[in-house]
Amino acid sequence: MTDEHKKYVKKIRIRKLVTKVLQIGILLLFIGLWELVAQKEIIDPFIISSPSRIFKLLLKLEAQKNLFNHLSATLIETVLGFLISTAAGTLIAIILWWSRLLNDVLEPYLVTLNSLPKIALGPLIIIWIGAGKQAIITMAILICIIITIISMLSGFMQVDKEKIMLLKSMQANKFQILTKLVLPANIPTLISVLKINVGLSWVGTIMGEYLVSREGIGYLIVYGSQVFQLDLVMASTVILCILAALMYAIVALIEKIIKKYF
Amino acid sequence: MQPILELKNLTFSYHSKEGETKVLDNVIVRVEKGDFVGLVGPSGCGKTTILNLLAGIMQPSCGNILLDGRDIRESLDKVALMPQRDQLFEWRNIERNIMLGLEVRHINTKKNREMALSLLKKYGLGDFAGMHPSQLSGGMRQRAALIRTLVTQPEILLLDEPFSALDFQTRLNVCDDVYKIIKQEEKTAVLVSHDISECISLCDKIIVLSARPSRVKDEIDIEIDKSLTPLKRREDKLFPKYFERIWMLLEEKKNDG
Repeated sequence: MTDEHKKYVKKIRIRKLVTKVLQIGILLLFIGLWELVAQKEIIDPFIISSPSRIFKLLLKLEAQKNLFNHLSATLIETVLGFLISTAAGTLIAIILWWSRLLNDVLEPYLVTLNSLPKIALGPLIIIWIGAGKQAIITMAILICIIITIISMLSGFMQVDKEKIMLLKSMQANKFQILTKLVLPANIPTLISVLKINVGLSWVGTIMGEYLVSREGIGYLIVYGSQVFQLDLVMASTVILCILAALMYAIVALIEKIIKKYF
Repeated sequence: MQPILELKNLTFSYHSKEGETKVLDNVIVRVEKGDFVGLVGPSGCGKTTILNLLAGIMQPSCGNILLDGRDIRESLDKVALMPQRDQLFEWRNIERNIMLGLEVRHINTKKNREMALSLLKKYGLGDFAGMHPSQLSGGMRQRAALIRTLVTQPEILLLDEPFSALDFQTRLNVCDDVYKIIKQEEKTAVLVSHDISECISLCDKIIVLSARPSRVKDEIDIEIDKSLTPLKRREDKLFPKYFERIWMLLEEKKNDG
């Protein structure tokens, strides 16, 4: 290794380290400032809570048990909404790819539904399917599914025409074109849809919980703010951040594994 | 002698909202077994359409295509297309890429797979079977694409500007490479190209098409020593003469079109 290359490698390493240190530094600074502002009562800790109060709350056994129940309820709803909307959206996109006619017929409806704020349907959903978990999951699905269909379909349509010709010259039927070319070629599209849906399914679930639920993180946030227990609101928000980041990390990991081949 | 491939009064029209466009008008071509035939013509003249008709992807409006004296649609398994650029599937390794035709045509037997692998070895890609296309050079990818067309044991190879994505130097080498393999496997080949030099260096016969709607303007037998490689054929004293003749024919077309 030449000296020049050693320098280059060192430079990259330092850059990486600096990035990490700054990332963690910002977080620590934020927590520190928050605590300081609350301790010195520069801003009333009753309104902004404080890291130590959140930490104390999380340490309480009864609160933990309580939190865990809410947490698992929300997590199940989110993961279900995420999986169902991704699977169903992809399936619908496949059907629309298959039938050009159906695609042309449904296009204006899809476009309209896509721009409609789904939260507006909340009250209707509650009346139609009841104020329970099913309403929350439906909300999450509604928010994710349209964008899933649109993204997947546009990926399907962008498959290289030359590759389709190649398969046709091998006398491939439509099903073979789908399974051997269109679907595998769109794994990267699926990954980006997964990334979008990780975020959106949380939006859907929390929104759903604001509207109807008796449990879940969204419920805790609403309840906490109503009884002015800001420690609870802040603790729930922090947990939400961690969960969302974890779910994103899982998708990013899947992407890393699959990216090698696409 | 009966030609292996015969295009009889081939006519094809393309339909769009704007109306009907006649692309091919009474195209008549005969290809003898083992020949390497080139189709040249002004761009948009329907060269690729002819290949698509030969591959059975489109149907002629009029006329027919005979393979060994019978309608080609009865024996489309004897035709294989090598498309523009290699079109290898990035998510499949080289081995699985060349097996694509076997899978699609439902002839993915152990015997056929072994034959495919032996082709891969024979042409120096044996060590690359497990690699993905992006790990191969442009020339090797092109060779893999050619092997993919050979795997289903076709009689006729259709080459659609197969070298257009390669840089000039690679192109000359790949040209030699592909020519050697096609001759060694004793295949008949139909090449579409807008590169006149490439056509002369590869082909036994060149068919010059007119502008749309295309007719056969001229058929030129290339009488340069067939034992030479395409690269060597470029040095032959007849080479510039053929080039000039085809060039003139193509220019002429511009004027009457």
